[in-house]
Amino acid sequence: MHEFEFLRFVTIGQYLPTGSIIHRLDPRTRLVSGLLLVIVLTLTSHGAGLCVALAALGILLAVARIPLGYALKGLVAPLPFLVFLAALQVLFGPRDAARLLVVWGPLSISTTSLLNGALLIARFVALILTLSLISYCLSTTELVHGLDALLAPFTKIGLPTHAFVLMVQVTLRFLPLLALEAERIAKSQASRGAEWGTGRGGVLRRARQAFPLLVPLFLTGLQRAENLALAMEARGYQGGKGRTSLTTLHFRPADAVALAVVVGLAVVVMRA
Amino acid sequence: MSALIEFDNVTYAYPLPNGGRIAALREISLRIAEGEYVAIVGANGSGKSTLARHLNALLVPDGGRVTVAGLDTRDPSHYAAIHRTVGMVFQHPEDQIVASLVEEDVAFGVENMGVPSAEIRARVDEALEKVGLWEMRLRPPYMLSAGQQQRVALAGVLAMRPRCIVFDEATAMLDPAGRCAVREMMADLHRAGLTIIAITHFMEEALDARRVVVLERGRVVLDDPPETVFADATTLRTLGLDLPPAAGLACELRRYFPALPAGLLTASALIAALDTLPHHAGEIPPVPASPPASPVPALIEVRDLGHTYMMGTPLAQRALESVTVDVATASSHGLLGATGSGKSTLMQHLNGLLRPQEGTVRVGDYILNDPQTDVRAVRRMVGLVFQLPETQIFEQYVGDEIAYGPRLQGLLGDSLRQRVRWAMELVGMGFNAFKDRFTFALSGGEKRKVALASILALRPTVLLLDEPTAGLDPASHREVLAHLQKLKETGITLVLSSHQMEDVAALTGQATVLDNGRSVLEGDITDVFAHGERLRALGLSTPVVAQVVEGLRARGWTLPPGLVSSAALTEALSQCLNGSNGSLIRSFADS
Repeated sequence: MHEFEFLRFVTIGQYLPTGSIIHRLDPRTRLVSGLLLVIVLTLTSHGAGLCVALAALGILLAVARIPLGYALKGLVAPLPFLVFLAALQVLFGPRDAARLLVVWGPLSISTTSLLNGALLIARFVALILTLSLISYCLSTTELVHGLDALLAPFTKIGLPTHAFVLMVQVTLRFLPLLALEAERIAKSQASRGAEWGTGRGGVLRRARQAFPLLVPLFLTGLQRAENLALAMEARGYQGGKGRTSLTTLHFRPADAVALAVVVGLAVVVMRA
Repeated sequence: MSALIEFDNVTYAYPLPNGGRIAALREISLRIAEGEYVAIVGANGSGKSTLARHLNALLVPDGGRVTVAGLDTRDPSHYAAIHRTVGMVFQHPEDQIVASLVEEDVAFGVENMGVPSAEIRARVDEALEKVGLWEMRLRPPYMLSAGQQQRVALAGVLAMRPRCIVFDEATAMLDPAGRCAVREMMADLHRAGLTIIAITHFMEEALDARRVVVLERGRVVLDDPPETVFADATTLRTLGLDLPPAAGLACELRRYFPALPAGLLTASALIAALDTLPHHAGEIPPVPASPPASPVPALIEVRDLGHTYMMGTPLAQRALESVTVDVATASSHGLLGATGSGKSTLMQHLNGLLRPQEGTVRVGDYILNDPQTDVRAVRRMVGLVFQLPETQIFEQYVGDEIAYGPRLQGLLGDSLRQRVRWAMELVGMGFNAFKDRFTFALSGGEKRKVALASILALRPTVLLLDEPTAGLDPASHREVLAHLQKLKETGITLVLSSHQMEDVAALTGQATVLDNGRSVLEGDITDVFAHGERLRALGLSTPVVAQVVEGLRARGWTLPPGLVSSAALTEALSQCLNGSNGSLIRSFADS
């Protein structure tokens, strides 16, 4: 019975310090590589390219020493949604008269639409795996340092990049806390007779059931935010001006190699 | 000595949403010299935290003047220097941590000061060494215990090399070992010349200070050494405070043994004073033979329970390992253990929130291993009050909040009203006076009672309480404790976990001690607290009566080991003290 382990199903956004070669790269390399893969996966229209990408992701997960089963678990939650989207694509996609298989009135299935549906699933699976991989291999600290370094040039044209980066950092730090909090509140309301996970009742009733969860979650979230703001102010935070950093980033030969590999992969995925 | 912090006729009022203001500090004048150790105490709403926030310009006065090292806090150009001079450790460990790596978090404050990287590194390492967490520097903070997280927060402050550190109820959420470690650190820092200001609800912590400032409704009412402040229990009570436990015990003992001097504030002082009284090695009163194992089956029976969180993921975490617990009907059972020892996980098994992965759990007639068991029926029978339950209140009105559970059970109209009334009266809240009050406008203690009533309204036969008194001020603490005592007499079975050993001693008859998910000690509360050494090794402590007994036994007194109530101690002491001349001891019958 895991109905309350909310964190269990959120494998995305979880850092796993396995100490692999990937983990030892410069955070900027990992960020840029991940971003590049995400862009390519979104834009490519080649089935073969997506297959190559999926295979490459499998290899990357192995190199990063992430158990494949764990990574795949992250797909469980969005899967019904994906299947639904794919079904829409198959049934309502543009009618390809030459390859029609079945027709029910306005609905039709053709080999083209089947292929499109499969592509859609493959694309999303690859995207989710890429995002998960980034989060497994990039701690929030590294993400923050990477972002900070990559965005630093924009401060010259007056953009508040530091505030943005700090916002990202705090959000990431508080997400697991909020998940735990939600778990605690759900358990506590269940102890008072609320039903969770039984799936009974209509939409309205279920929405009402969420109320006892959301109100306290929202209030404690606000409270925490206020506490954190105070703690930060007490430690002399006054925006990014004049701030220095404990860590300095180093771009090494291995980073150049890794970037080259990823760029090569990106070209293959786009062109294959 | 020059004043490091100076309050000159300071007033402050919080703005209200409707445009009004509510006064929090009224004409406060206070001088804190460099190198002082000051405790600030007061009931909820007395203005302690507001005062604390004025100490380092998190709030600035509406009237009057606060200066820190000569700098006026109202001038924003002084903020950076003031934050650097006065550091602050807050109550909730996880809320004050910014970064996702221990050393990064410690660096946060120094980074804000614009110090070069190499210097930051040196300061961070030094601060981590000082709080004893250097080995943990590359861990994510959430993997640390609450006590360790507080030390991370302290290291973050130390790295900024402040002249003064304010601890704003920094020990309220910690287990005994964590609390002890933070207190020792405060004392060390004071010895090293820092100014320490401790805001606390724990009177024994105020004893560590050289000066105690008592606030009441925004005013300083007492500002004296602890010996003076804690000399008068009656005044303290009217201020919503209490004596430190050892001082309370000393007062009580003095009623029977007038030869004891006044002003004994700590357990060690009390032990030393008792030891100077003429006493003889009286025979140890025979320990009443413990009754044979009861033939009636226990109400709750846990056998070899094991539990792993996030099983089958790389984050899997073993929480319980072959835990065995028996709770008899209408008894009250304590669960003791350091943070992370598995108390909460065990409790969640007792009302079906978690199902046994290994071992068996039986509650009444319900076998929780059986997938057919109606979990909702179990939850109706066993009410669980979580830690800080007031954070889970979601209704606007007190009455609705308490009616939520019974309503889901199908109660309506008058029977629902009756049930809510009954539950409110159990916690001492008048039905008519409170049912239409806004929940958000209640005080901390009142909210706690609403949360308690909202579980009691389900009429559970078993009540599970996770840290029922954590974070309450002394007056609310006393009140909640009294209501739980009364509840016990109604025949309800209590299972409670607490870091407050005095509460455990006062409320429970039996206890189970957990360590790293294993049950390592179980028995009558008197037997459990007789193992002082062992409990301390597990990061726990013993109530003050047990400490006194242990100390006297170490000095050769023949006292039975298992005493936890002051009445039992008084009786045992009267056996040992030379009372033949009649002057030393007033008999029980007289008093």
